[in-house]
Amino acid sequence: MSAVWQASRAAVKRRRVQTIVIGLVVLCSTMTTVLALAVLTAASSPFDAAFARQRGAHVVATFDAAKTSEAQLTQTVQRPGVQAAAGPFGQAVIEIPQPWLWMAAGPLQVVGRADPAGPVDRVDLLAGRWATAPGEIVVNSPVGGASSRLLGSKLDVPGGPPLTVVGFATSMSKSAGAWVSPEQMTALHPTSFQMLYRFASAATSGQLQSELEAATAGQPADSLTHAQTYLSLKQAFSASADSYLPFMTMFGVLGVLVSVLIVGNVVSGAVVSGYRHIGVLKALGFTPNQVVAVYLGMISVPAVVGSVVGTLAGAVLEQPILKAAFAGVETGTATIGTTPWVAVACLLAMPTIVAIAALIPALRAHRLSAAEAISAGSAPKAGRGLLAQRKLGGTRLPRSVSLGLGQSFARPARAMLTMSAVILGVATVTLTTGLASTMVAAGNAGQHSGITQVLVEADGKTSGQSAAQLSDSQIEARLRALPGADRVTARAFTKVLLAGSTDTVFLNLYRGEPPAAAEQIVHGRWPSGPGEVAAGPGFLAQHGLAVGDRTVVYLSGKQLSVTVVGEEMLGNNQAMEADWATAAELVPDASAVEYAVQLAPHADGQAYVKGVEGVDPGLHSSLRIQSQNTASTVVISFSAVFTVLLAIVSALGVFNSVLLSTRERRRQLGMLKSIGMTPRQVVVMTVTSVAGLGLVGGLIGIPIGMVGHRLLVDHAGVLAFPESMKDVWHAPQLAALLLSGIVIAVLGALIPARSAARLTIATVLHSE
Amino acid sequence: MHKEYGDSKALDGASLEIRAGDAVAVMGPSGCGKSTLLNMVAGLDRPTSGTVEVNGQDLGQLNETGLALFRRKHIGMIFQFFNLIDDLPALDNVALAAQLTGTSARQARRRALELLDELGVADRKDNYPAALSGGQRQRVAVARALMNRPALLLADEPTGALDSRSGEQVMDLLIDLNQMGQTLLIVTHDPNLATRCANRLIEFADGKVARESTLEATA
Repeated sequence: MSAVWQASRAAVKRRRVQTIVIGLVVLCSTMTTVLALAVLTAASSPFDAAFARQRGAHVVATFDAAKTSEAQLTQTVQRPGVQAAAGPFGQAVIEIPQPWLWMAAGPLQVVGRADPAGPVDRVDLLAGRWATAPGEIVVNSPVGGASSRLLGSKLDVPGGPPLTVVGFATSMSKSAGAWVSPEQMTALHPTSFQMLYRFASAATSGQLQSELEAATAGQPADSLTHAQTYLSLKQAFSASADSYLPFMTMFGVLGVLVSVLIVGNVVSGAVVSGYRHIGVLKALGFTPNQVVAVYLGMISVPAVVGSVVGTLAGAVLEQPILKAAFAGVETGTATIGTTPWVAVACLLAMPTIVAIAALIPALRAHRLSAAEAISAGSAPKAGRGLLAQRKLGGTRLPRSVSLGLGQSFARPARAMLTMSAVILGVATVTLTTGLASTMVAAGNAGQHSGITQVLVEADGKTSGQSAAQLSDSQIEARLRALPGADRVTARAFTKVLLAGSTDTVFLNLYRGEPPAAAEQIVHGRWPSGPGEVAAGPGFLAQHGLAVGDRTVVYLSGKQLSVTVVGEEMLGNNQAMEADWATAAELVPDASAVEYAVQLAPHADGQAYVKGVEGVDPGLHSSLRIQSQNTASTVVISFSAVFTVLLAIVSALGVFNSVLLSTRERRRQLGMLKSIGMTPRQVVVMTVTSVAGLGLVGGLIGIPIGMVGHRLLVDHAGVLAFPESMKDVWHAPQLAALLLSGIVIAVLGALIPARSAARLTIATVLHSE
Repeated sequence: MHKEYGDSKALDGASLEIRAGDAVAVMGPSGCGKSTLLNMVAGLDRPTSGTVEVNGQDLGQLNETGLALFRRKHIGMIFQFFNLIDDLPALDNVALAAQLTGTSARQARRRALELLDELGVADRKDNYPAALSGGQRQRVAVARALMNRPALLLADEPTGALDSRSGEQVMDLLIDLNQMGQTLLIVTHDPNLATRCANRLIEFADGKVARESTLEATA
């Protein structure tokens, strides 16, 4: 065994507690980093990842079976630009006569496919098996929505044989409501064919359009009846996920940053505290390079163990955490996860970071002579620090307190190490709690506790049922007249073309009392007159608009100049909001498709819903459950996880620093005890030595966290927070945050302090 | 008293009585248990069996805090390597012992200055230990030990780290203190220190008192 390895082993054995602390810090930091990178990779493109796993269709095209044939459609597969294609599959629309499974009565689009696999749109089976024989059906289901106990359910198709559910499946391409075998499809008399395409150029809607035109160039005119692009699905996905992906990305970056800094702090502290030992090794004849090797060897043991265990723990926690984080995102059965490189990168990077952190102070020791190294840190240099300590000794503070406070001044480098750990911890806690407060406020905006809302649908499209018979104004009047109704907002919508854009956007038109969205206007006001619109930050950013700007919308040959008068907090990226007065200019015959009814406090929601049924059988109402939105839940959950993890890492940093300090002051502590310092005074002195740093660290960390919070909420992109939601800092909260710095420091110091209080005086005093 | 550390016996039936005003020197070869005896008397360690009574107080009856408070009031200690706090100047090192009892900084410093003056190092009151000679450091350490007017002053090789001239000065100091009524218990290898400063000599061997004799004061 080489002398270097032997000395390294001896150093590890002699510094068991410190080795464990370094190992724990590396473990927690690695775990945080694994989770952070997992979030970063998953958050970067969750839709793309899930879509790619299913080889989703860039375009789901529907062709009229009366105008084209299977043979003609098969030729499209060979057309230029077509990377892969599946189909043609027979497609029919069947009627669900009455509510079935979780679906309302109405039409159901069914596609005939022999199997769920294929070059495009690899449908994931969630339960049961694929339909292979006549009389069998596989139903499209949201993940988590299907249950095996529903297998075997029967669907009586008017004019056809009953279909038995043999499986539940999901498609990222949303290619069908249900699937049957090709034989069964023939029996259902398909009226159209479905083709699923993946194109070489599919980045924009323009590319998709031209690729589709090229692919279907030889087809009879008007045979293509509908084309659904993946971009519209992605847009719908983004609307829910984009609101919190920036926050999760931030948590990832923060986690990596803090972990690396704390590891550097702890490891370099360990090496600096070992200067005396380094001097002794040099005196024994170790060469400078051997000394550096001894220290790198000593640090590498906990670094490697911590990295491996941390990576494993992170990998175990990764899936449930990502599952929770992406709970609101529809991804089919595709797992939102990370690539193996995350684990590999952490396994390689963490020990490397530790080695670099150890190498910098070790190289300094490399340059020191043996005598210099032995004396380094053994006696403080006279200066302002000692003067401060002397002044403290003259104050009215209890001596154990003034001695503790003075330690920071006597050893400023050690104090800076401790304080930097506290600053990082407090900044993290400040940032994450601020974000949580902002998100809670955002989640609660427009929600009124104790108030029930009923959504009444009039056009039957969503529920798939028949439309209402009464006129728009009659419906509104009847809904207002029903017992319990307090506020009624009618909504119609139309698609318009925005000046300078090739894509159409939705224009929502509101009548009656302003909708809940009116309470979430961040800048400006809710539209109240003709030609006034409001939109969310995503929409405004996409179209280069801001509050006060004017633009033109086009519809059926008409055009209208509109002014952006308000910006919503969150808002649909594809829609603008306007008052009904705008409808008169563009769509005079607009008719509301839905009515949001806010009931009076304590009104009976169920009774109101029942009452709506009596107004018109074509009206379909549902009670709105007011719950915290997904973005709030996810951000708050992540805040909690990362706050706890990073606070632990910070406290461990403090623990390590105090432990080193206590070791160095063993003789001093022994002497103080010999002249009558009680164990309690020892604890008070040791804890005070870091509590002061905790206080200062808090004072520095809080503004850093506040600035970070401000930068983040100001640049969230798809969310625009009003000032009231950004201004989450109040005196009690700031006091609590300041306290968090002291708590982190005190928690980290408590164990070494108690151990110092139990120090056996006789042993430390009689040895030099 | 008996004291065992694992299989090794540091004290093996040591019995000793020191009267107020005595100056007792304990001598013996290394490892004979004399420093362990001093630790027991100071309440820095506890015997495996037997009792230690100082100033009428059975130390075995006190918990750690009680022992600390007892040391604070009744025991003063000086060590071979001084054990001064490097971060504090001489004056504050001395004042510290009183400040721990709750004495105000002003009062403690006043008394500390008096002691430093009596011990001849008042002019070095603002110096940090690193700037003091060995003899000066030991005088500061003695001042600190006397700060709370202890009933018993314990000295563990007080001249062991000093040159002969400084050692002589410290010896003179101890003699003066004893003549003023201070009870002393000195552990040393140095026969010169023992014979000059003590009126009783206890020779220790194998963890017990081997021989005891009365000495004539030389001062």
